[in-house]
Amino acid sequence: MIGNGPFLAVGILFLIALVGIFTQKNLIKIAMAIAILGSSVNLFLVALGYRTGGTVPIHYLAGEGGPMVLPTPQAMTLTAIVIALATTALLLSLIMLIYRHYGTINVDEIRRLRG
Amino acid sequence: MWTKVFTGFGYWDVVSWILFFLIAAGFMKFIRSLGRSDYKKGTDQDEIYWSGNPVPEDGSDITVPASSAYWGFRKALEPYYRALTGMHTGIATDIVGYYILIVALMAVLILIV
Amino acid sequence: MNLNEHLPALLLAVPLLGAFTAPLFSLGGKFLRNAALLAATFLTLVVAFLLWRHVSAAGVAVYVMGAKSAALTLPSGMKFPIRIILEVDAFSAFMALTGAIASFAGALFSLNYMNRFTGLNRFVSLYCLLTAGMLGMMVTGDLFNFFVFFEVASIASFGLIAFWRDKPEAIEASFKYALVSQVASMFILVAAGALYGKYNILNMAAMGSVLTLGTLEKVALVFLVGALACKCGAFPMHMWLPDAYAEAPSGVTCLLVAVSQASLYGLMRVCFSLYGVTLGSSFLPWVIILLGLASMFFGVSMAVVQHEIKRLMGYHSVSQVGYMLLGLGAGLLVLPDPAALASYGLTAISGGIYHMFNYTMYKALLFLTAGAIYYATGTRDLNEMGGLAKKMPYTTFMFVIAAAAISGLPPFNGFVSKLLIYESVFAIHPALTVVALLTSVLTLASFVKVFQTAFLGPRKFSLSGVKEVPSGMLLGMTVLTVAIIGASLFPTWTLSHLVEPAAKALVDQGAYIGAVMGGGM
Repeated sequence: MIGNGPFLAVGILFLIALVGIFTQKNLIKIAMAIAILGSSVNLFLVALGYRTGGTVPIHYLAGEGGPMVLPTPQAMTLTAIVIALATTALLLSLIMLIYRHYGTINVDEIRRLRG
Repeated sequence: MWTKVFTGFGYWDVVSWILFFLIAAGFMKFIRSLGRSDYKKGTDQDEIYWSGNPVPEDGSDITVPASSAYWGFRKALEPYYRALTGMHTGIATDIVGYYILIVALMAVLILIV
Repeated sequence: MNLNEHLPALLLAVPLLGAFTAPLFSLGGKFLRNAALLAATFLTLVVAFLLWRHVSAAGVAVYVMGAKSAALTLPSGMKFPIRIILEVDAFSAFMALTGAIASFAGALFSLNYMNRFTGLNRFVSLYCLLTAGMLGMMVTGDLFNFFVFFEVASIASFGLIAFWRDKPEAIEASFKYALVSQVASMFILVAAGALYGKYNILNMAAMGSVLTLGTLEKVALVFLVGALACKCGAFPMHMWLPDAYAEAPSGVTCLLVAVSQASLYGLMRVCFSLYGVTLGSSFLPWVIILLGLASMFFGVSMAVVQHEIKRLMGYHSVSQVGYMLLGLGAGLLVLPDPAALASYGLTAISGGIYHMFNYTMYKALLFLTAGAIYYATGTRDLNEMGGLAKKMPYTTFMFVIAAAAISGLPPFNGFVSKLLIYESVFAIHPALTVVALLTSVLTLASFVKVFQTAFLGPRKFSLSGVKEVPSGMLLGMTVLTVAIIGASLFPTWTLSHLVEPAAKALVDQGAYIGAVMGGGM
């Protein structure tokens, strides 16, 4: 049961992020929700990397017995973190420019393009 | 024929269509050549007739703007267009909302059926 | 060293090299920078062409990154592939060729179009990066790698849409796109992670060989389909698309059209090659067909009432994507039934794929002509245009060709692909064809409106100083016009050499899997 703890945390974080996107009006908070969304997915990938009875995939100093675990999820997570960093930085800089042009960061007021 | 595309129910032949257009263009040329060329140049005969009024100099005074095109079509379908443009609120979170809605619907339905 | 073997990797290496050396070339001045952009996109086009020729002669090409030999997919007797694998079948090669043509035309157009602005070394970098991301999505055989290229393309396109950062609308469009695209890409990552957790494989071919349909697979499928349908602009997830297409510089919009096709490619790859006949029920094919119908009809009816030229064309993109979803969804529906597949399913898929090519060509050309009008007149509002045909004859000529092609007027290529779709989906239900025909009529109506208000009519004083655009822009448009006319005059050649191999490759899941798993399927 406790083994499912990380996945429960992933689900809760994912929902928090989605609720954040829909309930918050402040663009900075929406960007934070996107970052939480990215973190929850990264946590999901890390949690997937655990295999019961496996050992670390390092040739020396490896623990006793058990097959080695493929480190793919860790590699995926690192890549995903870098991507999330880039998009968060880009989102924040776009928000900065939006504030400069519109004088507001309320998402309901940034709607010149519609219809 | 090398130009025929078969669709399973019929076929499409580009060369015969181009021939058709050439013949149609020939007819058009012929009908156009029947027009009169003996009008008097420089008189009222080659002036634009604009309900008897002087024609405005600037073209923008006599053109129908694009937002008035298909006015009747839009007027007839007004409730439809009101609903459709009302959907496009332009709010960023609404766009995400529609996406999540569709994914959630699909996820529920695919597990049921 | 055999060059053909390395073509899949070169296809990604060339634009990436262009992207990262662009700042270096920019130090040498304007000429060197422009030459770098042109060289990178042209070389990409050449590589894409060679790759397409290689694949149509020798079958599926596989490239294993970092292995001793390019085709070593299963090293040291392993049961499943572990390295990053690029896999190019006829469908991928066809899409890469299409995308590379659009990229080259957009670059050629941008040389003159962007020269009024500063910061162009960044433009060149992002443009090449977007090309690399798009091509990466098309050639990768790995689900996570697909996500990475998807993000590379997304991030580059956020930057390019907001390139005119002194315009508030551009920033707004970019932000909306970034928001929805980020959420969608996280869903893709969740799906990839979930599938990895179950099968311990990320390679699509290897996963396709062991996939069995359960709850997890169904949810992962929905996440993938939803995200990719959103990124290619299916109704009702399309709202970012007209904003982004309208506000991006026109040369970029031309490339964004091809990038949306990469998402559509991913959608089809997931449905046909990853799941294939394992889809089980006909639920998902019907979802794709319905998304296609809704996109077609609502997209075009929004387009009819627009009066801003690029926004109008953006809504047309939504409706044209609907045709491809309809054709490919119809093919997916009859995939488990070989008799129906042979009688009309393959025609529907061919129609959808042919439409992808045609759509990329004529829609890219339409956006370029809209950009040319904006360059010459300084406005995108149709209300303020008029009488441009006398002043910009070449642009007018190319606009007419593209508009006739998108409306499906008979001698042009748009008609052939639409005909294939009409006559095949008719076998499933006549109502599908009715909606498709109605959409075609409304498309014609809205382009008649554009043509009449922008190019015909009396001269306006406000537009008295308008001249034809510079030759570089005309050249960019000519590339696409030649592609359209070629596909119109030689539909049989295009179908038998470009489209039908792609359609057969898409349907043939066994060959896609066999290329990686050693044919033991």
